[in-house]
Amino acid sequence: MDNKKSNQEVDVSKRDFFRKTAALSVTALAGTSLISSNARADDPAIMHHVSWGQKWGDPVTKNLYGIPSAYEHNVTRRNTKLLASGNYRASIAVTPIHESMGIITPNGLFFSRSHGGTAHVNPNEYRLMIHGLVEKPIVLTLEQLKRYPSVTRTHFIECPANGGQEWRGPQFNSVQFAKGFMSSAEWTGVYIKTILADLGLKKEALWMLAEGSDNSEMGRTVPVDKVLDDAMIVWGQNGEALRPEQGYPVRLLLPGWEGNLCVKWLKRLEFSSEPWYCKEETSKYTALKPSGKAIQHFYANEVNSTVTSPSPEIPWTHLKDGDIVEIEGLAWSGMGTITGVDLSFDGGDNYVEAKLKGLVLPKSWTRWSYMHTYKKGEQLLLTSRAMDDAGYIQPTIDQETKIMGVESVYHRNAVETWEVTATGEVNHVQIRS
Amino acid sequence: MFKLDRKLIISASVAATVAMLAVGCVPGAAEPEGASTVNGKPTIDGGLMYPVVNDKTGPYYVNPQVAADAPKIFNGRTPTPNELKAWNTDVMPDGTGLPEGEGSSEDGEVLYEAQCVMCHGDFGSGGGGYPALSKGNAYELQKTLTNNRYRNAEGDGPTRVFGSYWPKVSTLWWYIRDGMPHPMSKTLSTDETYALTAYILNINEIEVDGEVIDEEFVLNRELMLKIDMPNDKGFEPNIDGPTGLDDVRAFYANPENFGAYKVKPSERCMTNCKEPTAKVTRIAGAGISEFLPPMATERTLPEVENAGGGAKAQYEEACMMCHADTSMGAPAVGDANAWAAVMTKGIDKVYSNGINGINGMPPKGGSSLSDADFKSVVDYMINNSK
Repeated sequence: MDNKKSNQEVDVSKRDFFRKTAALSVTALAGTSLISSNARADDPAIMHHVSWGQKWGDPVTKNLYGIPSAYEHNVTRRNTKLLASGNYRASIAVTPIHESMGIITPNGLFFSRSHGGTAHVNPNEYRLMIHGLVEKPIVLTLEQLKRYPSVTRTHFIECPANGGQEWRGPQFNSVQFAKGFMSSAEWTGVYIKTILADLGLKKEALWMLAEGSDNSEMGRTVPVDKVLDDAMIVWGQNGEALRPEQGYPVRLLLPGWEGNLCVKWLKRLEFSSEPWYCKEETSKYTALKPSGKAIQHFYANEVNSTVTSPSPEIPWTHLKDGDIVEIEGLAWSGMGTITGVDLSFDGGDNYVEAKLKGLVLPKSWTRWSYMHTYKKGEQLLLTSRAMDDAGYIQPTIDQETKIMGVESVYHRNAVETWEVTATGEVNHVQIRS
Repeated sequence: MFKLDRKLIISASVAATVAMLAVGCVPGAAEPEGASTVNGKPTIDGGLMYPVVNDKTGPYYVNPQVAADAPKIFNGRTPTPNELKAWNTDVMPDGTGLPEGEGSSEDGEVLYEAQCVMCHGDFGSGGGGYPALSKGNAYELQKTLTNNRYRNAEGDGPTRVFGSYWPKVSTLWWYIRDGMPHPMSKTLSTDETYALTAYILNINEIEVDGEVIDEEFVLNRELMLKIDMPNDKGFEPNIDGPTGLDDVRAFYANPENFGAYKVKPSERCMTNCKEPTAKVTRIAGAGISEFLPPMATERTLPEVENAGGGAKAQYEEACMMCHADTSMGAPAVGDANAWAAVMTKGIDKVYSNGINGINGMPPKGGSSLSDADFKSVVDYMINNSK
């Protein structure tokens, strides 16, 4: 037992060592010298055999569906009592975007929101009905649905209340809670227009009801414009079946639009000449303006971005003077493709252009990056600002609240700021009048 | 015939899109307009579309054979009339789908007290994280929708409950029938749904035919269709009627309508951008930091949960929302007096009351625990209340 315990400690110190030396080795490569005395000490993680190197590992028969390393147990969705509605059955668990890599969220970390709990649908009893103002109504089993020619697309899904708790000021000292009401995946399914090519949409059809089979019978009204553009019925998520939390076996995907519109556990699509006025498009998901009027049918998530590293979860307290560090973040737009991200070190007074990296896809998370040389004790206000090819740019908080007020809950996409303190702590602040 | 038209229109937009994409590649070019269309009309959400051009939509290749073959694919079958009737039960504001039936506010109150009050509170006042259904006279409260703390940070905000905010009664009726009661939805009859709707109209003091809906009121289909909700005209853009889509399209064509901001990339502000009055605003007080599980990024091994966590976990999952404190009227775990009072009935009675439901508590608290598991959770709660 003692031996095992000490090996755990060894492992931890190894991690710390790498964390410290990673920056150092970059520094060395950059030619600025500086070797700390820490780096000269012999590392026990190197000097001694490690426990896992001297005994059998697990057989391949273990974990036939793989699970993350036990050491990664802090990388989870999280929830909070503020958002605990309905005994956590009309609630949300948010994604640790500070731990996200690339532009894909692992299925187990994809944010989870439901209005009557996560339904567990028996795929053998799954039916999808498409009817109303179509020439040929249809009922499909899951197998029949999946026989349609498939397409695979990478899109984020974002709850339009992402950042919605902070219209009146910052509340969450956390990027997971301030911006993690979203995730991104590679989805596989069929364009609804491919199915409709045979069913024949009638000319009077203007709206489509999408209805789930869950406890809340979640429904939303969708304009046919979206249906005939890029709306999909999806069953695949990152190369496997949808997770129950994402609507197994089938959900609607309206790329770029409110996550709530992407109805999970989808059972029925009905076409009509008039809209439905479902609960989640009247009582909620409507944005109250200072005029007293509320925007209904608020579809696309507007261009947005955030710094993910540093962040309150990933501070710079371990950095030394002169360390070269990558400032990294995400940008996304439900209205098009990210064309650029600007980064400010003074809370949005002056900007430089950050660099996009990796795949840049429509209505998808996009990674951006900026290399920074850290000065010990520097105090920064890091603000990112994204643009898309539809011509939109993130507004300032003042610009957005001037039109929307502070009571609208949804669709807040003004720039957000992290304060880096002299000790490298990172706090969520807002720059506003 | 119409199908064909739509296809022609979609492909006709391709040429325009190619032109746009070419322009869009030039840095600082004019913002793209009319980028692509459906039915010959600009995008409805103010964003872009990526129609298929040279077998690609944006960066993705598509199989061009699909468009040719799709009109011949019918993988399923035609629903039977009974199947359509079974599933086509949505309720629209004009009464489409709303069945005949009736229910009184008085009966609704009895149902409410039995099945709803534990979550929605006395007289719909809310609680336990569930929405309030009423805060008083809906017509007066509707006027609070212009209360915007943008103007007055310390003032009262708007009151958005069913009566003051929702545009249609049909939404309430439909949601009660299909989504309520939350732990066991789709168990209310048509008449019960009318009764509960009547009660909620009553506590919001909604009027019909010039009369305030009172305890004696009996709601039916005909009367429900006469009700104009106070905030019926409180939403934009218009979505009703044959111009609905065009009205939505026109609304989102103007970023000023919805708080978005457009600028040519070459003209965006890069220096001295900050509004003169803007300053750093920090999180007030401690902010919200009660995260579950607590925030951490360490890669140390997790502590092993000690044994006996089963009942605790089940309590937290199924019971804690009402039993954590007295706000829901349930005996709070840790309150020795309250539980001593409960225990005067004897443990068997406590078990059976819990299993069958009592007062505001639904059977097993709405959980799907087995009887044995449920009893162990009750034991856990009692043991933690001594």
